[in-house]
Amino acid sequence: MAATLTDRYIDATVRTLRPHLQEDVREELATSIADAVEARLEQGESADDAERAVLNALGDPGVLAAGYADRPLHLIGPRYFMTWWRLLKLLLWIVPVSVMAAVALGLTISNAPVGQVIGAAAGVGISVIVHLCFWVTLVFAILERVGTDPVPTWTVDQLPEAREDSSSVSHLVGSLVFLGASIAAVLWDRFRGFVVLDGEIVPILHPGLWPLWMLVFLVIVLGEAAVAVAVFRKRRWSAATASANTVLAVAFAAVSLWLISTGQLINPDIIAAIVLHGGSDFHYADLQSANEGGIFRILAVLLGAAIIAVCAWDGFDGWRQAWRAAGRMRG
Amino acid sequence: MSESTDIHLQELRRGTVVLACLQLLRTPGYGYALLEQLEHAGFPTDANTLYPLLRRLEKQGHLVSEWNTDETRPRKFYRTSAAGVDLADTLTREWLALTDAIGALTHDKEN
Repeated sequence: MAATLTDRYIDATVRTLRPHLQEDVREELATSIADAVEARLEQGESADDAERAVLNALGDPGVLAAGYADRPLHLIGPRYFMTWWRLLKLLLWIVPVSVMAAVALGLTISNAPVGQVIGAAAGVGISVIVHLCFWVTLVFAILERVGTDPVPTWTVDQLPEAREDSSSVSHLVGSLVFLGASIAAVLWDRFRGFVVLDGEIVPILHPGLWPLWMLVFLVIVLGEAAVAVAVFRKRRWSAATASANTVLAVAFAAVSLWLISTGQLINPDIIAAIVLHGGSDFHYADLQSANEGGIFRILAVLLGAAIIAVCAWDGFDGWRQAWRAAGRMRG
Repeated sequence: MSESTDIHLQELRRGTVVLACLQLLRTPGYGYALLEQLEHAGFPTDANTLYPLLRRLEKQGHLVSEWNTDETRPRKFYRTSAAGVDLADTLTREWLALTDAIGALTHDKEN
Protein backbone atom coordinates (compact mmCIF):
# COMPACT_ATOMS: atom_id res chain seq x y z
CA MET A 1 0.00 0.00 0.00
CA ALA A 2 1.28 3.46 -0.90
CA ALA A 3 2.14 5.75 1.98
CA THR A 4 -0.69 8.10 2.90
CA LEU A 5 -0.32 11.86 2.98
CA THR A 6 -0.31 11.67 6.77
CA ASP A 7 2.54 9.14 6.78
CA ARG A 8 4.53 11.31 4.43
CA TYR A 9 3.81 14.40 6.53
CA ILE A 10 4.91 12.72 9.75
CA ASP A 11 8.02 11.30 8.10
CA ALA A 12 8.96 14.76 6.84
CA THR A 13 8.49 16.20 10.31
CA VAL A 14 10.37 13.69 12.44
CA ARG A 15 13.20 13.06 9.96
CA THR A 16 15.35 15.89 11.29
CA LEU A 17 14.59 15.31 14.98
CA ARG A 18 16.98 13.60 17.38
CA PRO A 19 16.46 9.79 17.43
CA HIS A 20 15.12 9.66 20.99
CA LEU A 21 12.40 12.19 20.09
CA GLN A 22 11.40 10.62 16.80
CA GLU A 23 9.19 7.75 17.98
CA ASP A 24 7.46 9.82 20.63
CA VAL A 25 6.66 12.70 18.29
CA ARG A 26 5.60 10.28 15.56
CA GLU A 27 3.06 8.54 17.81
CA GLU A 28 1.71 11.74 19.30
CA LEU A 29 1.45 13.54 15.98
CA ALA A 30 -0.26 10.56 14.37
CA THR A 31 -2.88 10.53 17.14
CA SER A 32 -3.39 14.29 16.98
CA ILE A 33 -3.85 14.21 13.20
CA ALA A 34 -6.22 11.25 13.46
CA ASP A 35 -8.26 13.08 16.12
CA ALA A 36 -8.49 16.21 13.98
CA VAL A 37 -9.44 14.23 10.85
CA GLU A 38 -12.09 12.36 12.81
CA ALA A 39 -13.61 15.61 14.03
CA ARG A 40 -13.88 16.83 10.44
CA LEU A 41 -15.36 13.52 9.27
CA GLU A 42 -18.09 13.90 11.88
CA GLN A 43 -18.93 17.23 10.24
CA GLY A 44 -19.52 15.35 7.00
CA GLU A 45 -16.31 16.06 5.11
CA SER A 46 -14.84 13.41 2.83
CA ALA A 47 -11.82 11.50 4.15
CA ASP A 48 -9.47 13.00 1.53
CA ASP A 49 -10.61 16.57 2.11
CA ALA A 50 -10.41 16.20 5.87
CA GLU A 51 -6.86 14.83 5.74
CA ARG A 52 -5.71 17.56 3.36
CA ALA A 53 -7.29 20.32 5.44
CA VAL A 54 -5.73 19.07 8.67
CA LEU A 55 -2.24 18.74 7.18
CA ASN A 56 -2.46 22.13 5.42
CA ALA A 57 -3.38 23.73 8.74
CA LEU A 58 -0.34 22.13 10.38
CA GLY A 59 1.81 23.82 7.74
CA ASP A 60 5.39 23.28 6.61
CA PRO A 61 6.75 20.17 8.37
CA GLY A 62 10.17 21.83 8.53
CA VAL A 63 8.75 24.65 10.65
CA LEU A 64 6.89 22.19 12.87
CA ALA A 65 10.08 20.15 13.35
CA ALA A 66 11.99 23.30 14.26
CA GLY A 67 9.34 23.95 16.90
CA TYR A 68 9.71 20.45 18.35
CA ALA A 69 13.50 20.65 18.33
CA ASP A 70 13.62 24.27 19.56
CA ARG A 71 15.70 25.26 16.54
CA PRO A 72 15.85 28.90 15.38
CA LEU A 73 14.24 29.68 12.03
CA HIS A 74 16.74 32.42 11.28
CA LEU A 75 20.39 32.30 10.27
CA ILE A 76 21.64 34.94 12.74
CA GLY A 77 19.32 36.35 15.39
CA PRO A 78 19.29 39.65 17.27
CA ARG A 79 21.74 38.31 19.86
CA TYR A 80 24.63 38.12 17.39
CA PHE A 81 23.44 40.30 14.54
CA MET A 82 25.23 43.55 15.47
CA THR A 83 28.47 41.74 16.33
CA TRP A 84 28.33 39.89 13.00
CA TRP A 85 27.53 43.03 11.04
CA ARG A 86 30.25 45.17 12.66
CA LEU A 87 32.91 42.49 12.25
CA LEU A 88 31.95 41.87 8.62
CA LYS A 89 32.04 45.59 7.78
CA LEU A 90 35.42 45.98 9.46
CA LEU A 91 36.90 43.00 7.63
CA LEU A 92 35.44 44.10 4.30
CA TRP A 93 37.11 47.47 4.72
CA ILE A 94 40.52 46.03 5.48
CA VAL A 95 41.09 42.61 3.98
CA PRO A 96 40.11 42.88 0.28
CA VAL A 97 42.04 46.15 -0.19
CA SER A 98 45.14 44.74 1.53
CA VAL A 99 45.07 41.50 -0.44
CA MET A 100 44.43 43.25 -3.76
CA ALA A 101 47.25 45.70 -3.10
CA ALA A 102 49.61 42.86 -2.21
CA VAL A 103 48.74 40.90 -5.34
CA ALA A 104 49.02 43.95 -7.59
CA LEU A 105 52.34 44.87 -6.02
CA GLY A 106 53.75 41.37 -6.39
CA LEU A 107 52.72 41.09 -10.03
CA THR A 108 54.01 44.57 -10.88
CA ILE A 109 57.37 43.76 -9.33
CA SER A 110 57.56 40.56 -11.35
CA ASN A 111 57.01 42.60 -14.50
CA ALA A 112 53.51 41.41 -15.36
CA PRO A 113 51.58 43.43 -17.98
CA VAL A 114 49.15 46.02 -16.63
CA GLY A 115 46.07 44.11 -17.84
CA GLN A 116 47.13 41.00 -15.98
CA VAL A 117 47.83 42.98 -12.81
CA ILE A 118 44.36 44.57 -12.85
CA GLY A 119 42.64 41.30 -13.79
CA ALA A 120 44.39 39.28 -11.11
CA ALA A 121 43.81 41.90 -8.42
CA ALA A 122 40.11 42.19 -9.30
CA GLY A 123 39.71 38.39 -9.36
CA VAL A 124 41.42 37.96 -6.03
CA GLY A 125 39.42 40.86 -4.58
CA ILE A 126 36.09 39.31 -5.54
CA SER A 127 36.99 35.86 -4.25
CA VAL A 128 38.29 37.35 -0.98
CA ILE A 129 35.01 39.25 -0.51
CA VAL A 130 32.96 36.11 -1.19
CA HIS A 131 35.08 34.02 1.18
CA LEU A 132 34.96 36.64 3.93
CA CYS A 133 31.18 36.93 3.78
CA PHE A 134 30.69 33.18 3.68
CA TRP A 135 33.03 32.13 6.48
CA VAL A 136 32.19 34.93 8.87
CA THR A 137 28.47 34.28 8.41
CA LEU A 138 28.98 30.54 8.78
CA VAL A 139 30.77 30.97 12.09
CA PHE A 140 28.00 33.21 13.44
CA ALA A 141 25.26 30.90 12.17
CA ILE A 142 26.92 28.05 14.10
CA LEU A 143 27.29 30.27 17.20
CA GLU A 144 23.59 31.09 16.95
CA ARG A 145 22.84 27.37 17.21
CA VAL A 146 25.37 26.19 19.78
CA GLY A 147 26.44 29.39 21.55
CA THR A 148 25.09 29.75 25.07
CA ASP A 149 27.30 32.47 26.51
CA PRO A 150 25.50 35.81 26.61
CA VAL A 151 26.82 38.66 24.52
CA PRO A 152 28.38 41.31 26.80
CA THR A 153 25.95 44.11 27.58
CA TRP A 154 26.54 47.25 25.58
CA THR A 155 27.70 50.27 27.56
CA VAL A 156 28.31 53.91 26.63
CA ASP A 157 32.04 53.19 26.70
CA GLN A 158 31.59 51.48 23.35
CA LEU A 159 30.26 54.61 21.64
CA PRO A 160 32.37 55.54 18.62
CA GLU A 161 34.69 58.52 19.11
CA ALA A 162 33.34 61.85 17.92
CA ARG A 163 34.42 62.30 14.34
CA GLU A 164 37.50 64.39 13.95
CA ASP A 165 36.67 67.75 12.44
CA SER A 166 39.10 68.33 9.59
CA SER A 167 38.19 72.01 9.32
CA SER A 168 39.82 72.74 12.69
CA VAL A 169 42.72 75.13 13.01
CA SER A 170 45.08 72.33 14.05
CA HIS A 171 44.30 70.57 10.79
CA LEU A 172 45.09 73.71 8.81
CA VAL A 173 48.38 74.23 10.63
CA GLY A 174 49.28 70.57 10.18
CA SER A 175 48.64 70.71 6.43
CA LEU A 176 50.60 73.92 5.92
CA VAL A 177 53.54 72.70 7.98
CA PHE A 178 53.64 69.47 6.01
CA LEU A 179 53.54 71.29 2.66
CA GLY A 180 56.19 73.78 3.78
CA ALA A 181 58.40 70.94 4.96
CA SER A 182 58.05 69.23 1.56
CA ILE A 183 59.27 72.33 -0.27
CA ALA A 184 62.05 72.79 2.27
CA ALA A 185 63.14 69.17 1.80
CA VAL A 186 63.30 69.55 -1.98
CA LEU A 187 65.34 72.76 -1.69
CA TRP A 188 67.62 71.22 0.94
CA ASP A 189 68.22 68.21 -1.28
CA ARG A 190 69.31 70.47 -4.13
CA PHE A 191 71.37 73.11 -2.35
CA ARG A 192 72.64 71.63 0.95
CA GLY A 193 72.31 67.94 0.15
CA PHE A 194 70.96 65.08 2.23
CA VAL A 195 73.77 63.04 0.70
CA VAL A 196 77.25 64.49 0.53
CA LEU A 197 79.91 62.21 -0.93
CA ASP A 198 83.55 63.21 -0.75
CA GLY A 199 82.58 66.82 -0.07
CA GLU A 200 80.28 66.91 -3.07
CA ILE A 201 76.49 67.32 -2.89
CA VAL A 202 74.68 64.42 -4.59
CA PRO A 203 70.95 65.32 -4.86
CA ILE A 204 68.50 62.45 -4.49
CA LEU A 205 66.08 63.97 -6.98
CA HIS A 206 67.08 64.14 -10.64
CA PRO A 207 68.76 67.52 -11.46
CA GLY A 208 66.85 67.49 -14.77
CA LEU A 209 63.65 68.16 -12.78
CA TRP A 210 64.77 71.74 -12.45
CA PRO A 211 63.22 74.09 -13.34
CA LEU A 212 60.09 72.84 -15.20
CA TRP A 213 59.01 69.89 -13.05
CA MET A 214 59.91 71.70 -9.87
CA LEU A 215 57.58 74.46 -10.96
CA VAL A 216 54.82 71.86 -11.46
CA PHE A 217 55.58 70.49 -8.00
CA LEU A 218 55.40 73.99 -6.51
CA VAL A 219 52.05 74.67 -8.22
CA ILE A 220 50.61 71.43 -6.84
CA VAL A 221 51.86 72.21 -3.32
CA LEU A 222 50.44 75.74 -3.48
CA GLY A 223 47.17 74.26 -4.75
CA GLU A 224 47.06 71.88 -1.77
CA ALA A 225 47.71 74.81 0.55
CA ALA A 226 44.92 76.78 -1.11
CA VAL A 227 42.51 73.86 -0.59
CA ALA A 228 43.52 73.61 3.08
CA VAL A 229 42.91 77.34 3.58
CA ALA A 230 39.58 77.23 1.70
CA VAL A 231 38.38 74.33 3.86
CA PHE A 232 39.40 76.19 7.01
CA ARG A 233 37.67 79.43 5.96
CA LYS A 234 34.41 77.69 5.03
CA ARG A 235 34.77 75.50 8.12
CA ARG A 236 33.87 72.43 6.11
CA TRP A 237 34.66 70.39 3.03
CA SER A 238 32.43 71.01 0.02
CA ALA A 239 32.08 69.36 -3.38
CA ALA A 240 34.25 72.12 -4.86
CA THR A 241 37.15 71.70 -2.42
CA ALA A 242 36.88 67.91 -2.64
CA SER A 243 37.05 68.11 -6.47
CA ALA A 244 40.06 70.43 -6.38
CA ASN A 245 41.71 68.12 -3.84
CA THR A 246 41.09 65.10 -6.09
CA VAL A 247 42.47 66.88 -9.17
CA LEU A 248 45.62 67.79 -7.25
CA ALA A 249 46.05 64.26 -5.90
CA VAL A 250 45.61 62.74 -9.36
CA ALA A 251 47.98 65.28 -10.91
CA PHE A 252 50.63 64.57 -8.29
CA ALA A 253 50.26 60.80 -8.71
CA ALA A 254 50.31 61.00 -12.52
CA VAL A 255 53.38 63.23 -12.66
CA SER A 256 55.28 61.18 -10.08
CA LEU A 257 54.46 57.85 -11.70
CA TRP A 258 55.41 59.11 -15.14
CA LEU A 259 58.71 60.48 -13.84
CA ILE A 260 59.43 57.24 -11.98
CA SER A 261 58.62 55.02 -14.94
CA THR A 262 60.77 57.08 -17.32
CA GLY A 263 63.65 57.25 -14.85
CA GLN A 264 63.48 61.02 -14.49
CA LEU A 265 62.71 61.23 -10.78
CA ILE A 266 65.80 59.87 -9.08
CA ASN A 267 69.26 61.16 -9.78
CA PRO A 268 71.29 58.48 -11.66
CA ASP A 269 74.41 59.67 -9.83
CA ILE A 270 72.99 58.65 -6.48
CA ILE A 271 72.04 55.25 -7.88
CA ALA A 272 75.58 54.85 -9.18
CA ALA A 273 76.88 55.91 -5.77
CA ILE A 274 74.71 53.35 -4.01
CA VAL A 275 75.89 50.61 -6.37
CA LEU A 276 79.48 51.67 -5.82
CA HIS A 277 79.22 51.74 -2.04
CA GLY A 278 77.09 48.62 -1.90
CA GLY A 279 79.98 46.50 -3.05
CA SER A 280 79.77 42.83 -3.92
CA ASP A 281 76.81 42.11 -1.63
CA PHE A 282 74.75 44.63 -3.51
CA HIS A 283 75.77 43.14 -6.85
CA TYR A 284 74.83 39.68 -5.68
CA ALA A 285 71.41 40.85 -4.50
CA ASP A 286 70.88 42.75 -7.72
CA LEU A 287 71.70 39.66 -9.78
CA GLN A 288 69.37 37.59 -7.60
CA SER A 289 66.51 39.91 -8.43
CA ALA A 290 67.46 40.26 -12.09
CA ASN A 291 64.29 38.52 -13.21
CA GLU A 292 62.27 41.26 -11.53
CA GLY A 293 64.42 43.95 -13.12
CA GLY A 294 66.84 44.36 -10.26
CA ILE A 295 66.71 46.08 -6.91
CA PHE A 296 66.08 49.57 -8.24
CA ARG A 297 63.11 48.52 -10.31
CA ILE A 298 61.56 46.80 -7.27
CA LEU A 299 62.13 49.93 -5.19
CA ALA A 300 60.60 52.05 -7.96
CA VAL A 301 57.47 49.86 -8.00
CA LEU A 302 57.16 50.08 -4.20
CA LEU A 303 57.62 53.85 -4.31
CA GLY A 304 54.98 54.12 -7.05
CA ALA A 305 52.57 51.96 -5.06
CA ALA A 306 53.08 54.10 -1.96
CA ILE A 307 52.41 57.26 -3.96
CA ILE A 308 49.23 55.75 -5.44
CA ALA A 309 48.04 54.65 -1.98
CA VAL A 310 48.65 58.05 -0.36
CA CYS A 311 47.09 60.00 -3.24
CA ALA A 312 44.07 57.67 -3.45
CA TRP A 313 43.46 58.05 0.28
CA ASP A 314 43.91 61.82 0.08
CA GLY A 315 41.42 62.18 -2.77
CA PHE A 316 38.93 59.81 -1.15
CA ASP A 317 39.22 61.49 2.25
CA GLY A 318 38.17 64.89 0.84
CA TRP A 319 34.97 63.41 -0.56
CA ARG A 320 34.29 61.52 2.66
CA GLN A 321 34.54 64.72 4.69
CA ALA A 322 32.43 66.63 2.17
CA TRP A 323 29.77 63.95 2.36
CA ARG A 324 29.76 64.05 6.17
CA ALA A 325 29.61 67.84 6.18
CA ALA A 326 26.63 67.70 3.81
CA GLY A 327 25.01 65.20 6.19
CA ARG A 328 25.55 67.57 9.13
CA MET A 329 24.02 70.44 7.14
CA ARG A 330 20.93 68.36 6.36
CA GLY A 331 20.73 67.01 9.89
CA MET B 1 -8.71 44.94 10.68
CA SER B 2 -5.45 46.45 9.54
CA GLU B 3 -2.31 44.36 9.39
CA SER B 4 -0.54 46.32 12.11
CA THR B 5 -3.53 45.98 14.46
CA ASP B 6 -3.37 42.25 13.82
CA ILE B 7 0.30 42.15 14.76
CA HIS B 8 -0.26 44.11 17.97
CA LEU B 9 -3.11 41.81 19.00
CA GLN B 10 -0.91 38.78 18.35
CA GLU B 11 1.84 40.29 20.49
CA LEU B 12 -0.58 40.94 23.31
CA ARG B 13 -1.98 37.40 23.20
CA ARG B 14 1.34 35.64 22.84
CA GLY B 15 1.95 34.72 26.47
CA THR B 16 -1.64 33.94 27.32
CA VAL B 17 -1.65 30.54 25.60
CA VAL B 18 0.99 29.28 28.05
CA LEU B 19 -1.08 30.41 31.02
CA ALA B 20 -4.26 28.94 29.56
CA CYS B 21 -2.54 25.58 28.97
CA LEU B 22 -1.15 25.48 32.50
CA GLN B 23 -4.57 26.20 33.97
CA LEU B 24 -6.50 23.77 31.73
CA LEU B 25 -4.00 20.94 32.27
CA ARG B 26 -4.51 20.93 36.03
CA THR B 27 -6.80 18.12 34.86
CA PRO B 28 -4.82 15.90 32.49
CA GLY B 29 -5.48 16.34 28.77
CA TYR B 30 -4.04 15.42 25.36
CA GLY B 31 -3.09 17.42 22.28
CA TYR B 32 -6.20 17.61 20.13
CA ALA B 33 -8.66 17.79 23.06
CA LEU B 34 -6.63 20.65 24.55
CA LEU B 35 -6.76 22.45 21.19
CA GLU B 36 -10.57 22.26 21.31
CA GLN B 37 -10.68 23.31 24.96
CA LEU B 38 -8.51 26.34 24.26
CA GLU B 39 -10.75 27.31 21.36
CA HIS B 40 -13.87 27.09 23.54
CA ALA B 41 -12.19 28.96 26.39
CA GLY B 42 -11.44 31.88 24.05
CA PHE B 43 -7.79 31.15 23.24
CA PRO B 44 -7.83 30.03 19.61
CA THR B 45 -4.41 28.48 18.95
CA ASP B 46 -2.86 26.85 15.88
CA ALA B 47 -2.05 23.16 16.21
CA ASN B 48 1.48 23.80 14.96
CA THR B 49 1.99 26.28 17.79
CA LEU B 50 0.43 24.21 20.55
CA TYR B 51 2.11 20.83 20.00
CA PRO B 52 5.70 22.15 20.14
CA LEU B 53 4.69 24.39 23.06
CA LEU B 54 3.54 21.38 25.10
CA ARG B 55 6.92 19.73 24.50
CA ARG B 56 8.74 22.87 25.54
CA LEU B 57 6.76 23.23 28.76
CA GLU B 58 7.37 19.58 29.53
CA LYS B 59 11.10 19.99 28.95
CA GLN B 60 11.09 22.96 31.32
CA GLY B 61 9.36 20.84 33.97
CA HIS B 62 6.08 22.73 33.99
CA LEU B 63 4.17 19.80 32.54
CA VAL B 64 4.51 16.06 33.05
CA SER B 65 3.28 13.51 30.53
CA GLU B 66 2.39 9.88 30.31
CA TRP B 67 1.09 7.61 27.59
CA ASN B 68 -2.40 6.26 28.08
CA THR B 69 -3.03 3.08 26.09
CA ASP B 70 -6.45 2.21 27.51
CA GLU B 71 -8.38 3.76 24.64
CA THR B 72 -8.43 2.80 20.94
CA ARG B 73 -5.63 5.25 20.17
CA PRO B 74 -2.63 5.58 22.45
CA ARG B 75 -2.62 9.17 23.69
CA LYS B 76 0.00 11.25 25.39
CA PHE B 77 -1.63 12.96 28.39
CA TYR B 78 -0.10 16.11 29.83
CA ARG B 79 -0.65 17.37 33.38
CA THR B 80 0.54 20.57 35.04
CA SER B 81 3.35 19.79 37.51
CA ALA B 82 3.85 21.46 40.91
CA ALA B 83 6.36 23.83 39.24
CA GLY B 84 3.79 24.49 36.54
CA VAL B 85 1.14 25.38 39.13
CA ASP B 86 3.60 27.82 40.71
CA LEU B 87 4.27 29.36 37.31
CA ALA B 88 0.55 29.61 36.58
CA ASP B 89 -0.01 31.40 39.90
CA THR B 90 2.83 33.85 39.21
CA LEU B 91 1.56 34.55 35.69
CA THR B 92 -2.02 35.01 36.96
CA ARG B 93 -0.88 37.50 39.60
CA GLU B 94 1.04 39.41 36.92
CA TRP B 95 -1.99 39.36 34.63
CA LEU B 96 -4.24 40.78 37.37
CA ALA B 97 -1.67 43.46 38.22
CA LEU B 98 -1.50 44.41 34.54
CA THR B 99 -5.30 44.53 34.33
CA ASP B 100 -5.35 46.92 37.28
CA ALA B 101 -2.58 49.02 35.79
CA ILE B 102 -4.30 49.24 32.41
CA GLY B 103 -7.58 50.01 34.14
CA ALA B 104 -5.93 52.83 36.09
CA LEU B 105 -4.51 54.25 32.86
CA THR B 106 -7.90 54.28 31.19
CA HIS B 107 -9.52 55.69 34.33
CA ASP B 108 -6.98 58.53 34.58
CA LYS B 109 -7.62 59.47 31.00
CA GLU B 110 -11.36 59.64 31.44
CA ASN B 111 -11.07 62.12 34.32
